Amino acid sequence: MKTLFPLLFVALLGACIPTTGGNLVTFHAQASGDPALVNGGPLTFTTPRGFEVTLTRARVTVGALYLNQQNPQNYSLEQSCIQDGIYSGEVRGGLTIDALSPTPQPFPVEGNGTDGPTRAAELWLTGGDLLADTDKTVVLDVAGTATSPTDGPFPFDARFTISGNRVIPPRNPALPGSNPLCRQRIVSPIAFDTRLAEGSTVSLLVDPRAWFVSVDFTDLPKVSDTPLLYRFTDDSSSSAQADKALFTALRNAAGPYRLELTTP
Amino acid sequence: MSSLTPSRGLLLSLLLLTTRAFADVVPPEVVSRFEATLPADAPPPNHDHVLLEFTVSAEGRAGDVLVIESAGAQWDKASIDALLKWQFKPALHDGTPVASRTRLSFNMPVQLMVKPDAGPPPEPGDGGVAPPAIVPSDEADAGHPHHDYATTVLGRSQPKSRGSADFTIDVGALQAVPHKSAADFLKLAPGILLTNEGGEGHPERIFLRGFDAREGQDLELTVDGVPVNDSGNLHGNGYADLNFIIPELVENLRVLEGPLDPRQGNYAVAGSADYQLGLPERGLTVKGSYGSFDTMRLVGLWGPPGESSRTFGGVQLFRTSGFGQNREAQNAKVMGQYEGRLSDSTSFRLGALGYGTMFKSAGVLRVDDVKNGQLGFYDTSDARQGGDALRAQVHFDLHGHTGDFSHDQAVFLIYRSTRMLENFTGFLHDVQLAQQSPHEQRGDLFDRDTSTFTVGARGAARWRTKLLGRNQDLEIGYFGRFDAVRGTQTRLLAGSNTPYARDLDLDSKLTDVGAYVDLNLSPAWWLTLRGGLRGEMLTYDVLDLCAQKEVRRPSTTSPPGDESCLSQRDLGLYRDPSERNSTSGGALMPRGTLLLGPFQNVTFSGAAGTGVRSIDPQFISENLKAPFASIFSWEGGASWQQHTDAWDANARAVVFGTRVDKDLVFSAQDGRGLIGGSTSRLGGLVTARVRGTFYDLAGNVTYVQSKFDDTNLLVPYVPDLVARLDASVFHALPWLEPLGSPLKGRAGLGVTSVGRRALPYGQRSDVIFTIDASAEVAWRQFSVGLSATNLLDTQYKQVELNYASDFHTSGSLPSLVPARHFAAGAPRMVLVTLAVHLGGEP
Repeated sequence: MKTLFPLLFVALLGACIPTTGGNLVTFHAQASGDPALVNGGPLTFTTPRGFEVTLTRARVTVGALYLNQQNPQNYSLEQSCIQDGIYSGEVRGGLTIDALSPTPQPFPVEGNGTDGPTRAAELWLTGGDLLADTDKTVVLDVAGTATSPTDGPFPFDARFTISGNRVIPPRNPALPGSNPLCRQRIVSPIAFDTRLAEGSTVSLLVDPRAWFVSVDFTDLPKVSDTPLLYRFTDDSSSSAQADKALFTALRNAAGPYRLELTTP
Repeated sequence: MSSLTPSRGLLLSLLLLTTRAFADVVPPEVVSRFEATLPADAPPPNHDHVLLEFTVSAEGRAGDVLVIESAGAQWDKASIDALLKWQFKPALHDGTPVASRTRLSFNMPVQLMVKPDAGPPPEPGDGGVAPPAIVPSDEADAGHPHHDYATTVLGRSQPKSRGSADFTIDVGALQAVPHKSAADFLKLAPGILLTNEGGEGHPERIFLRGFDAREGQDLELTVDGVPVNDSGNLHGNGYADLNFIIPELVENLRVLEGPLDPRQGNYAVAGSADYQLGLPERGLTVKGSYGSFDTMRLVGLWGPPGESSRTFGGVQLFRTSGFGQNREAQNAKVMGQYEGRLSDSTSFRLGALGYGTMFKSAGVLRVDDVKNGQLGFYDTSDARQGGDALRAQVHFDLHGHTGDFSHDQAVFLIYRSTRMLENFTGFLHDVQLAQQSPHEQRGDLFDRDTSTFTVGARGAARWRTKLLGRNQDLEIGYFGRFDAVRGTQTRLLAGSNTPYARDLDLDSKLTDVGAYVDLNLSPAWWLTLRGGLRGEMLTYDVLDLCAQKEVRRPSTTSPPGDESCLSQRDLGLYRDPSERNSTSGGALMPRGTLLLGPFQNVTFSGAAGTGVRSIDPQFISENLKAPFASIFSWEGGASWQQHTDAWDANARAVVFGTRVDKDLVFSAQDGRGLIGGSTSRLGGLVTARVRGTFYDLAGNVTYVQSKFDDTNLLVPYVPDLVARLDASVFHALPWLEPLGSPLKGRAGLGVTSVGRRALPYGQRSDVIFTIDASAEVAWRQFSVGLSATNLLDTQYKQVELNYASDFHTSGSLPSLVPARHFAAGAPRMVLVTLAVHLGGEP
């Protein structure tokens, strides 16, 4: 009790000292597969298209994590990848996440930001430079087997990069700056309604099932008979539905990714 | 040589002084006389008196001595030597000490006079039956002339005090405290903090009583009534650069904290400051300084003997390599003014000045870049920062008086050019637009260039009458200025400095006309009411040459999107990239002061008033209709002053409050102040100054809280606690008289303490505590001095900011959340100064 009063006094005094509002905070950041789904071993699930998928490898490389105090603008005209003034937090260090592991994998750097409202998050799927023309970093590395009641097993793998292979030419020649490559590298906006606090932990939980929601494995090209292997094509010019579906799902802010905040 | 007492030496008599100019001019009075030394081997005086004309300064010292009637060179010199040691109580004009020019005759002992029928004159000091007699003029025998002379008050009539927040600061002996620039003198007024993140030629950022006045945007700055604030400057509307002033030519300063006087016009949000130039020391002075960081300063000053202190010339050359990276600078200044008389009732001043500077700037650094060793404390993140500035000005004013009527008229002509290259954010602003060719971030180095031509005039007429047995005054006045401003803001490509985008291109014509009426009513000795009404009207005519930055319906035939200022065809309709906007606005501003006392040297005061700040022309171009930010300010306080033969002292205590409906809040992203919400301030200050025969001490402490009205949160960057101490001592050094001339010593000390300033996101800055000091020894015409700023060599951050930036210093992933930034304060700098003073008073 003797120590309680001085602490109470200091707390009251602090409450009376005016400030400009808000605070700068540092936080920990970590990522893992969704613990409710994965246990470190292969993950088996059935997709809406009826494929039973057993994933033996599911890694995603996140170059950086940014938090937004407001949702980014509609990108119909303003094609900027970086929108000045909307950020409430950042983790500027990359991590290749084993999405089959429920063990928290810490980002290599601490995050920092403000304790104002956070509305959304961005994942930057890059090896480091968001604006680089060439980036050979494998941002998605998956392998497994998909089977369906009607079709045989489809052992598959995918190693996706986002580089010149993902450039989308502008639809309107008068808008040469539309669809910049950096847009392909950003997964946004991921809903994350919270307020950061000093010492809190931001956990990125990856649900690898969501990457395969729309994939039609029958569309995959076979690359080997022995062993049997189908492979996703690492190029947006591929006309295969599976390639487009997986890449689209990789960048889908609403499905595979979820963020949680744990305060100390 | 023999020393004579007043009763035995030269006949000294201060002649009866009368005044013709004003009934309320109190002529100077002799406080102390020095014995004159009778010339030992002088021939007999050839005239019965020496008539001297001289200036009694506002500090009560004699100077600018002219011999009007001579009694012989040695007798003249003896008279002048004595006079220069006299102490006077200065002339008072409306109760304010002012410099005055007057005459005094030193009557020669009749016994020493050579008479046509007399034999050899007696030896000086000969103790005969009838020693040389010294008789005051009113006791003089019929043979001595009796002069009646007018006291001519020099300078212009000073505005009457508006209460405890009205500070008329006589720099005086506090010149000894190191002052790097004329802006530094502002610190003699309470509550003022100066910082500078832009380099040696960049104006100081002024914080005053809870306001971040930036580079003067919230402080009306004038020099002898000529405006300094630049209307329409893209760096900030009201941007005021005081660097054109040679500090030695600052004689005094009036700082009025708050819009409380009807004479105050546009920009008087936090208050106003008027520099009054002068050179009390007559003759020719040449100074050379050299010191730390290869800093060199050469100054030449001259004041023709016999002319008033307001007649002077000065030139300064300066260069420095600067502390740390990218801080080299050079400048040149010339200033000249002549004060003369057209008649007994009319005087004039004609002045001109020129100023040019080029400078580099280190800008701001990220704290984390310094912490992790990527940058040193005094390094820079972008070595392209800096700027240049020019000012050329001529001004002319007239002052006349006839009976109970007086008037002033002034005209001024100013050309200003400023260029500022600043990068606060590194690589953040360069948004990729769809219409643009794909590009990476090209860099945020802003290149702001503004050229301004200003012509204007101000005038006032005063009428005085007696009512209730006391003087009552009415003054009406006007102020008008026209500004033709061209301003551009471009962004320069990192690496090559190629302009890649134009943000602003404004061609503005601005007028500001103000008129006021001011009453000074004194129904009783203990009650004075001062105040009146000011009307201000501003007009804007802004041609925005870059109004169209996006194409609404882009096509391959609509112009290429890499250009900044776009014309377009929208559904076949041509749209020019330019756009003209004009608007005007007016405001009426009542201001008043109530003074009670003095009661045993204490005067109580209360004052209130409203003011305005015009807004930036770029917001006019954006069709913002409100032309003003409005300010309401009040203060109450008590002033005490006491004068004795040994010392002068004054002290004040003031509480004050201010509300601004559209305050400017600094945005580092934009590198300038932007219009924010309404803010209020509440604070108090105490200040005191004591002056004696060998010392001058001044100190002040101000505490204020500035808050946003809607959130009750603090206004960022504004210091809440500012304390300042200035001290000077000066005296002849005892026992040291080489070759019979005394060594005179002078030392100065300036101490600044600033509390932890509020920063965005609940942060607080570090405390600032610096000491500046100087010492000087003078012998005959020569002096040598040593001055040191930041004597303790404290490594401090004079500017601290909190915002997002990305200087590409920590990998390729940008930093996008707020981080701490700072601009380094100067380390210890030592300057040695040699000076020689020639001519002037013997």
